[in-house]
Amino acid sequence: MENLLEIKNLTVEYHTQGEIVHAVNGLSLNLRQGESLGLVGETGAGKTTTALSILQLVADPPGKIMGGEIFFDGVDLLKTKKSLLRSVRGNKISMIFQDPMTSLNPVYSVGFQIAEVIQLHENCSKEEARRKAEEMLEMVGIPKERYEEYPHQFSGGMKQRVVIAMSVACSPQIILADEPTTALDVTIQAQVLELMNDLKEKLHTSLLLITHDLGVVAQVCDRVAIMYSGEIVEQGTIPEVFDHPAHPYTIGLFGSIPTLSMESTKLTPIEGQMPDPTELPAGCNFSPRCPYARAECHSKKPGVTRIPGEATHELRCFALGWEQPDETLMEVIKRGR
Amino acid sequence: MADNILEVKHLKKYFKTNRGTLHAVDDVNFSIRKGETLGLVGESGCGKSTIGRLILGLHSATSGEILFNGQDICKADAQQMHDLRRQMQIIFQDPFSSLNPRMSISEIIGEPLIIHKMVSSRAELDKRVLELMDVVGLSQRLENSYPHELDGGRRQRVGIARALSLTPQFIMCDEPVSSLDVSIQAQVLNLLKDLQAEFGLTYLFITHDLSVVKYFSDKIAVMYLGQLVETSASDELFRNTLHPYSQALLSAIPEPRAHHKMQRVKLTGELTSPINPEPGCRFAKRCLYAAPYCTGQDPTLQDFGDNHFCACFRAEELRKEAAGIEE
Ligand SMILES: Nc1ncnc2c1ncn2[C@@H]1O[C@H](COP(=O)(O)OP(=O)(O)OP(=O)(O)O)[C@@H](O)[C@H]1O
Ligand SMILES: Nc1ncnc2c1ncn2[C@@H]1O[C@H](COP(=O)(O)OP(=O)(O)O)[C@@H](O)[C@H]1O
Ligand code: SF4
Ligand code: SF4
Ligand SMILES: [Mg+2]
Ligand SMILES: [Mg+2]
Repeated sequence: MENLLEIKNLTVEYHTQGEIVHAVNGLSLNLRQGESLGLVGETGAGKTTTALSILQLVADPPGKIMGGEIFFDGVDLLKTKKSLLRSVRGNKISMIFQDPMTSLNPVYSVGFQIAEVIQLHENCSKEEARRKAEEMLEMVGIPKERYEEYPHQFSGGMKQRVVIAMSVACSPQIILADEPTTALDVTIQAQVLELMNDLKEKLHTSLLLITHDLGVVAQVCDRVAIMYSGEIVEQGTIPEVFDHPAHPYTIGLFGSIPTLSMESTKLTPIEGQMPDPTELPAGCNFSPRCPYARAECHSKKPGVTRIPGEATHELRCFALGWEQPDETLMEVIKRGR
Repeated sequence: MADNILEVKHLKKYFKTNRGTLHAVDDVNFSIRKGETLGLVGESGCGKSTIGRLILGLHSATSGEILFNGQDICKADAQQMHDLRRQMQIIFQDPFSSLNPRMSISEIIGEPLIIHKMVSSRAELDKRVLELMDVVGLSQRLENSYPHELDGGRRQRVGIARALSLTPQFIMCDEPVSSLDVSIQAQVLNLLKDLQAEFGLTYLFITHDLSVVKYFSDKIAVMYLGQLVETSASDELFRNTLHPYSQALLSAIPEPRAHHKMQRVKLTGELTSPINPEPGCRFAKRCLYAAPYCTGQDPTLQDFGDNHFCACFRAEELRKEAAGIEE
């Protein structure tokens, strides 16, 4: 599969009141044609900043893209002209936000707002746009009779489905979805996830799905990248990462979530908190919380290595290279989930 | 039963709105035994927090009884309520908005001790506050910090320490970990479990997250639009889910596993409005199994053995059907 989007060494900072927030720190990530990739991390990990950088929507000030390249269709979006970027936004790459009202205008009917997008991108007649908008509404499970209704007459899940309809209306190549279901109830979330899965199959769109929910990723994505303090610490296919998580942070994350299939009566949380993004540790960003940290972890930054014997499973951690391996960690990785 | 710390009987709370009467809690019955945890689950707006607020006397009930150690909260006067409050505490979802931003951590934790005159000297107060901070795993150096200086997990620990200060018997936890990151959620859930074991606490644990209740509760009550649709021991509920809504809710949870795609029970139709609801099963518009006789009158909780109750006209029939297919 070909890479549709290639992020290389992206570094983004926010400069506020004499402090520098290191939000994204040399992040590299690829998204292939037709694939869906989950970007998982806790609050402040830098997920939203990464997505906003792709479309250059990071607020400046205080945000600054300090370095890196983002190739889309062979063009570096970070160096491209404003006019080209505008045609990419919403046209070739569209974004879905956590709060559907970010994308909806309260004073226009939902149908009108979808039709407007279609008209803009396809240069078709009003009637044609309306007909297509009605189709889109039905596709996301909303009867077309509700075309004339306003956002406030819809529930959260319905509004999010309208936003999804708007974002696929112009048949984008990539959809960036930032926590699209976090604000929804589980039964409604399940409907929206199913819808996204269907659309993905029908339209072969690539999807970057940002979430903190490992369950959502397992249901929707082909691959997953785990983010911590502005870096990808582990990535691979869903079976690679979910069956045998190998980064101490990922292992801790899985130990922290109660699941329905869980038998144990005690969770095994990660001690401590995420490091302050204005004062990142000198060594591995996870070293202050890592139960396996050794001296070098506190002074040097680990690079990315491929796990031996696995096709795409990558890790940002020293532990697999140690001559004297940590027996406990090796045991945990081998046992898997 | 004698060892029930809390009994809720035919509890109703209606709100008058300009579109009609909103049935937030509509004839709810349940009990919690001392030292146990009841998990109250349901989706947004179904009435969980309203039940919680009724129990704490923060709303007055439209009708019904709430017996705390046998005493009816709904009939308590101001002085009785003041005394009851000492026994019942609450931990809120949003640890930020629930803490006074102008008070230091030690003042927040110590305030209930002063209000209820539980300490006789400044030295005793300080000692007790530090003890409480230690119990919930807050470092002493944070004593003079303010809420905005703490992260969500620590703020929630402050809320827990405050709730524990009066050595209550009963704590209501309203979505206590929903606003926290997963790694911090686990720390707080473990802490709540440890405290329960240490102090013999009884919890009413309100949440929309079934995986959290499964981990946390002895008994579970599933709520839909103001009514309980199923109550049972926790493991029994997951083993033998009876109500169509509980089944749909369970099947909608995305499991964090590879090779385990969701087999979702599809829900169709629209949510019923809680305003002036027609008599009949509130779930009928979305239920796969809805029959004509599901509307007209409300289903009530029926005993299916082993303290497993379900309010569905077709539960027995559906259970037999399911068993038949498996045989
Ligand atoms: N003071 C009030 N006046 C009018 N209606 C209210 C009031 N408080 C709650 N309601 C309504 O009662 C119903 C139940 O609300 P409640 O807050 O108990 O839900 P909940 O189950 O706690 O939901 P969530 O999971 O979103 O917290 C909702 O329809 C809500 O809009
Ligand atoms: N506008 C902003 N000004 C200052 N700091 C910001 C701003 N937006 C995000 N940040 C900081 O950047 C880091 C990454 O944030 P974000 O990309 O929103 O993470 P996520 O989406 O993973 O929660 C956090 O430390 C956050 O506080
Ligand atoms: S590099 Fe060291 S500190 Fe970082 S995750 Fe690996 S073992 Fe832990
Ligand atoms: S009573 Fe009828 S509508 Fe309600 S849950 Fe049972 S089968 Fe469904
Ligand atoms: Mg975000
Ligand atoms: Mg609530």
